[in-house]
Amino acid sequence: MKGKIFWLALATSMIFVLASGLGWAADEIHVGGITDQSGGTADVGKDYALGLEEAVAWVNDNGGINGKKIVLHMFDYGYKRDEAVTLYDKLKTRDNVIAVLGWGTGDTEALSQTVSKDKMPYVSASYSAHLTDPDKTPYNLFFAPDYSSSARAAVTAWYDEIWMKDPKYKSRRDKGEKPRFMCFYHHAHPYCSAPIKAVKEQAELLGMEIGQDQDLSLKALDAKTQVLAAKRYKADLIWHGNTTQSVSVAMKDARTLQLGAYHAINVWGFDENLPRLAGPAAENAIGVSPCAFYGEDVEGMDAVVEYAKKINPNVSQDKRLIRTIQAWGAVKLLAEGMRRADKTGELNGETILKEGIETMSGYNLGLGMAPVSYTPEDHRPTSKVSIYIYRNNEFQPLSEIDFKERWPDKWNNQWLGY
Amino acid sequence: MSTFLPCGVYHETYAQDHAFWQTNFIRGKMILLALVSFIAIPFFLTDYLSEFILLIYWSLGALGVQLLIGYCGQLTLGHAAFLAVGAYASFLLMALPWPRFMLDMGVVYPLVLLISGIIAGIWCVIFGLPSARVKGFYLILTTMAAQFITVDFFIAKYVSQIGGRQQDLTLSSDLVKFGPWTVDTKRDIYYYGLILTILMTFMVLNYLRSKPGRAWVAIRDNDIAAESMGINITLYKLQAFFVSGFIGGVTGAFWGASRNIISVEDFTFGKSLWLVGIILIGGVGSIHGVFYGAAFMVFMIWALQEIVGMVGGTGNIIYYKEIAFGLAICGFLLFEPNGLAYRWWQSKNYFNLWPFSY
Repeated sequence: MKGKIFWLALATSMIFVLASGLGWAADEIHVGGITDQSGGTADVGKDYALGLEEAVAWVNDNGGINGKKIVLHMFDYGYKRDEAVTLYDKLKTRDNVIAVLGWGTGDTEALSQTVSKDKMPYVSASYSAHLTDPDKTPYNLFFAPDYSSSARAAVTAWYDEIWMKDPKYKSRRDKGEKPRFMCFYHHAHPYCSAPIKAVKEQAELLGMEIGQDQDLSLKALDAKTQVLAAKRYKADLIWHGNTTQSVSVAMKDARTLQLGAYHAINVWGFDENLPRLAGPAAENAIGVSPCAFYGEDVEGMDAVVEYAKKINPNVSQDKRLIRTIQAWGAVKLLAEGMRRADKTGELNGETILKEGIETMSGYNLGLGMAPVSYTPEDHRPTSKVSIYIYRNNEFQPLSEIDFKERWPDKWNNQWLGY
Repeated sequence: MSTFLPCGVYHETYAQDHAFWQTNFIRGKMILLALVSFIAIPFFLTDYLSEFILLIYWSLGALGVQLLIGYCGQLTLGHAAFLAVGAYASFLLMALPWPRFMLDMGVVYPLVLLISGIIAGIWCVIFGLPSARVKGFYLILTTMAAQFITVDFFIAKYVSQIGGRQQDLTLSSDLVKFGPWTVDTKRDIYYYGLILTILMTFMVLNYLRSKPGRAWVAIRDNDIAAESMGINITLYKLQAFFVSGFIGGVTGAFWGASRNIISVEDFTFGKSLWLVGIILIGGVGSIHGVFYGAAFMVFMIWALQEIVGMVGGTGNIIYYKEIAFGLAICGFLLFEPNGLAYRWWQSKNYFNLWPFSY
C-alpha cells in the first residue's frame, strides 16, 4: 500500500509537470535568467536573483523595450556547471530566449563557446577578465570593471594610500623594505582564481614580495592554518578572492591571531554582510565596488528601493545588499542594448551585440556605476575602478584608479583577456 | 529461434544460455529501442537533446560505479576523480603537437580517447591497491582520498595550471574527429555518446558473462569463499578497478568533448556521491538499473526545475526543490530498496505471466 502511494505521488507530479504548457503573447521579449540561490555562492546569489526580478519589473513598467515587455525565465542552478549548460539549452530551445542574464564564472566560462556559436548575448555576474576579449568570447558581457582590473586596483590603492602614506610603515619604507603580499582563495574555483595571475603581476609591478598562495574553501568555517601561514610570512596585504562568507571567516581569524595585515577583497566578498559577519574584524577592509551600496544616495536608487519593497515585500530592507544594485546594472545594460537593437528593426542576439551594446560609448547606467563603453575590439566596460575602505562603521571611498591614464600602454596592449 | 520461451524448457546449449537476445521478441524490442534512440530522439526530440546527453553521461559514469559496487562489491566514493583524470588526460593529449595529417584524418581523437581511458584505468588501479588489504568503510575512505588527492590537490593545483589557462582547459570542437566525422553539433555529441554507451555496455556485459565477471560476483558475495575456491581476489579486484576506471576515463573524455571546456568544478565530491545515488535508485547489481537511475535523476531535476519555473524562480521554493530531491532518494530507499530495475522486472513478469501468475 505504501508503495502504491509513493508511485501515485510520482505519477501525479509527472502529470503536473507535463500539463504545464505555456502560451506566449507576440509582443514579448524572452530573456533567460541563470542564478545560484542554493549552491556555493548563494550567500550573494539570492539577493542578485531578487534584484534581477525587480529590475525587469522596473524596465517593463517604464516603457519596456520600446513598448515590448520582457518576460524573464529565471532558474536556480545551484552552482552546478552541468545543470547550467542543460538549463541554457532549455532556455534557448524551449523558452526561445534571445539573451541570458547569467551568474558565475564557472557556468559563464563553460558556456562561452556555446553562446558565441549561438550568438546569444550572455550578461553575466561574473566579471572575469577572460571574458573581455571579443576575439575569443564575443557574446559575453558585463557592466562592471573586470576582476583582474579590480584586483590590480585594490592592490594599487593599498600601495598608494596606505603603504606610501601610513606613518606605521615609515621606517620600513625608509629602509627600502618591500611590502609582503599573499593571496587567500579557493584554488579549485574559477571565480576565485580568475584574477590571481593579474593581481600577482600587479604586486610585482609595484615591487612587492609574493608569498605562497593559501587555499581557502568557499565554505570554510576556519582559516587559522592559512592565517598562521600568513603570519609566518609576515604578510602586509592579503588578497581575498572568495565570497563574503569565507572572507569574513578569514578576517575574524586574522584578528584573533593578530595578523596585523590589511585585507583587500574582491567584488563578491565585499558587501554590507561583511561587517555583519566579521564584526570589528571588518575594520579597514579594502574592497572593490562596481556600484553604489544599497540605499546610498545616488541617481536611480529611489527606483531600486521602491521596486524592492513592491516586488519582494517580505524580504526585509536591512537584508538587501549591493548585489541588488549589481543585478540592476546587468539588466539596465541588456535593456539599453535591446532598445538600441530594436530601433534598427530587427531584435536578435547579433543586433543586441553589434547595434546595441557595442555602440555604447561612455553610457551612464546610474546607480554610482562608472560609465561603460564597448567596442568590437575590447569588451572591458571601464578602466576606472573605485576602491572603498570600511572605516568607522561605513564604507568610505579610498581611491579611484584609472588604468588608461596610469598605465596606458599596458592597458591597451597587454592586459586584455586575462 | 522462437518468439517466446516455452514454459519450463529454457536453453539447450551454452551459446543459447549466454546469448544477449534470446528470443525474437527481445530482438524486436531491441530494434525498437535502436530506432527510438538513433532516429526518434535525435530528429524528433531535438529540444530535449541536452537532457539526453546528460542522461548518457550519467549512465556512462554510473556504469563504472555499478561494476565496482554492484558486481565486485568494492565500495567507491571517489569515482568523479577518474572521470576527471580521463577528461584532463584527453584535453592535454589533444594539445600535443600532433602532425597535421593525423588530425585531418581524424585518427588522433580516437587514439586519445583510448589512451585517456587507459590512464584513468591505471590511476584507478593505484587507488584500488588498498582493496587488497582493506574493505568496507576503510575502502570507502581510500576511494574518498582518491577524490581529494586527484581533484582538489593534483588537478586543481598543478594540472589545471598547465598552459597558464588558470582553471579551465579548452578543446576546440573541430579537433574532435572520428575519421571524417567531426563531432560538432548537439546531435553529433548525442550520437558519439550513444555509440560510446553501447560499446561500454557490451564490454561490461561481456565481462560479466565470462570468467572475470563470475569471479567479481563471487568476490562480491563472499570474498573468503571466493579465495578458498582458488580465485586470485587481488588480481580480479584490481581488474575491476581498471575496467571501472577505464569507463570513467572515456566518460570524462566524452564529457569534455561535449562541453569543449573542463574545470575542476565539474568533478567534485558531490558528483561522486551522485553517481552512487544513481545506482542506488536504479538498483545495485543491475545494468538496466544504471540507465533507469540516470533517467530518474535527469527527469527529476528537469521536473523540479519546471515546477520552480512556474512559480517564478525565486524565494523559498528553491529549498523545496532541494528537499524534494532528498525526499525522492529517501522514498526509494524506504519503498523500493532494490531500485527501479527491480520494479521493471516485476512489471515485466506481471505481463509475461498474465493471466495465470503463480
